[in-house]
Amino acid sequence: MTTRGCYGPAAFAILVAFGLTGCGGGGVSKSKATIRLAMVTDVGGLGDKSFNDSAYAGLKRAKTELGADIQVLESKSAADYQPNLSALADENFDEIFAIGFLMNKDLAQVASNHPKGHFAIIDAVVDQPNITSVTFREQDGSFLAGALAARVSKTKTIAFLGGLDIPLLRKFEAGFSAGAHEVDPNVKVLVKYVGSFEDVASGKELAQVLFSQGADIIYAAAGKSGIGAIDEIRSRPSVYLIGVDGDQDGLAPGKILTSVLKRVDVAVFTVAKDILDKKPPKGHLEFGLKDNGVGLTDFQYTKQIIGPKTIAEVRKLRDAIIAGKITPPQTREELANFKPVKL
Amino acid sequence: MSGIQDFVVLTLVKAAPLIYAALAGVVCERAGILNIALEGQLTIGAFTAVAVSFATGNPVIGLLAGVVAGALVGLLLGVAATRFGVDQIVAGTGINLLALGGAAFGLTVVFGQPGASAEVSALGVPGERGLIVGAFVAALLLHLALYRTPWGLRTRASGENPRAVRSAGIDPRNVRLIATMLGGALAGLGGVYLSLGELDLYSDGMTAGRGFIALAAVIFGRWTPFGATGAALGFGALAALQFVLQRSGVPSELMQALPYLAALAALTGIAGRARAPQADGVPYTE
Repeated sequence: MTTRGCYGPAAFAILVAFGLTGCGGGGVSKSKATIRLAMVTDVGGLGDKSFNDSAYAGLKRAKTELGADIQVLESKSAADYQPNLSALADENFDEIFAIGFLMNKDLAQVASNHPKGHFAIIDAVVDQPNITSVTFREQDGSFLAGALAARVSKTKTIAFLGGLDIPLLRKFEAGFSAGAHEVDPNVKVLVKYVGSFEDVASGKELAQVLFSQGADIIYAAAGKSGIGAIDEIRSRPSVYLIGVDGDQDGLAPGKILTSVLKRVDVAVFTVAKDILDKKPPKGHLEFGLKDNGVGLTDFQYTKQIIGPKTIAEVRKLRDAIIAGKITPPQTREELANFKPVKL
Repeated sequence: MSGIQDFVVLTLVKAAPLIYAALAGVVCERAGILNIALEGQLTIGAFTAVAVSFATGNPVIGLLAGVVAGALVGLLLGVAATRFGVDQIVAGTGINLLALGGAAFGLTVVFGQPGASAEVSALGVPGERGLIVGAFVAALLLHLALYRTPWGLRTRASGENPRAVRSAGIDPRNVRLIATMLGGALAGLGGVYLSLGELDLYSDGMTAGRGFIALAAVIFGRWTPFGATGAALGFGALAALQFVLQRSGVPSELMQALPYLAALAALTGIAGRARAPQADGVPYTE
């Protein structure tokens, strides 16, 4: 090998290293911060206009309202979870948020290696003294979306489009189906999964498939893949979509009936505020309709399309769930046994 | 609308980016460069097209920019492999990471937001259809170029026996360099198809492993343009079938794994004999 040949791999390694540093995101540290908070995103990353962005919104709110110092590390793949969590745990943060259930095992390990640190995980329950588990009653919000979709649908066929076929997403699916059948047992609910939270093109293609199979409303709980479904409804007349996690209503005004909010931001902010108020950290926090952790948007662009009667009906269902008269199913097994409740 | 027609259209829509990327793989490997950076070339093509369309307001300029950017990424692989003798797998892996990180960084620079770009002016339905037809035209042209021109002979010879090419007074490293640029341009076009043809935006991770499925198509298609195109169509049909028939009993994970199983079958000889170009992935040194 010539001497010149040695520089190639080295130069290449440097290039790659530069490429990799692009993965980290950074907060600016301020000297007079009250509390220090950090989060690790899931692979969807910031800009998903959904789950991760919602968590980030909570962090930003903690920054403006509580004066918190915040930092974000983005995960490009599951292999980044542990290095990201460890990197943050080595610094002195009051709370480190793991955004996404996929991090449960990595977080459990990092947390036991850093017994003095405190952590929170969204969407998973990890039973460890220095971890707060935060979950949501997604099935409750999805139930309301299902009832709404069943009422608005002209073809009496509605569809659920999920990201990955996993228990968490089945909570959305089961709640949605049950809500539809609560108001109209004859509505057909189609169910498809993209197999990815990032495959925008496949999200769009599956939306086309669902529309051609007769659906006129799609409830898209598929992360960035859902952006593809939103792209598809823009060019089609008389079809609608229901968004998820964040408020997506403005992404296609008048075409997105509502969004099933999963207020990860409320959860993140609540945990942050508890720290500032010196409340002892909780082991498990569950957010639902009652505490606005889950809910629908206020139909800013679609009141006309939905109509006051349906809006009132959805509100009634919401109250019934809060009062415990209806318990939306969260698995397919529970869905199979779900009987519409006479109110 | 009829189900058959839906299925055919969806198959073509799914196959088009795979065909572009698989042709890119074919031309590189026939010249002796193992291009596992297809995923990165798709990514950079997709991102550059959207960024340039955003900057100029003209999706056609965006398309051209995506192709050029893909060619440059191909050139990077080619230079690393032929001039510096970097292991091609390592170089390809590095380029894939670099592309993903670079596009993510580019998003924040150009659009001021991470994760996904804003919607830009795109090629629309005529553009998408044109690019689907273009994939088949590209396959035909590449076939003619590889088997009917002196350039094609030199390219194939560089992948089989680079010393013979050298003895004819041609530097096989230059031949390989041109092949990687052409390959990069083709894969870049595949990326453009995704971001500006089917959609009107770039989003991190949107190529979703298509570059690797295309690699499987190269093997299953036995390193020929028509074979790879056929394999890409087959994988497209599988994906379309999976979409239409989902939840009818067959686990979708199994359907998603089928392209890789098919490639494995081709390599192990279950599905007939498959032989890679003799000098595929072997650096040429004097």
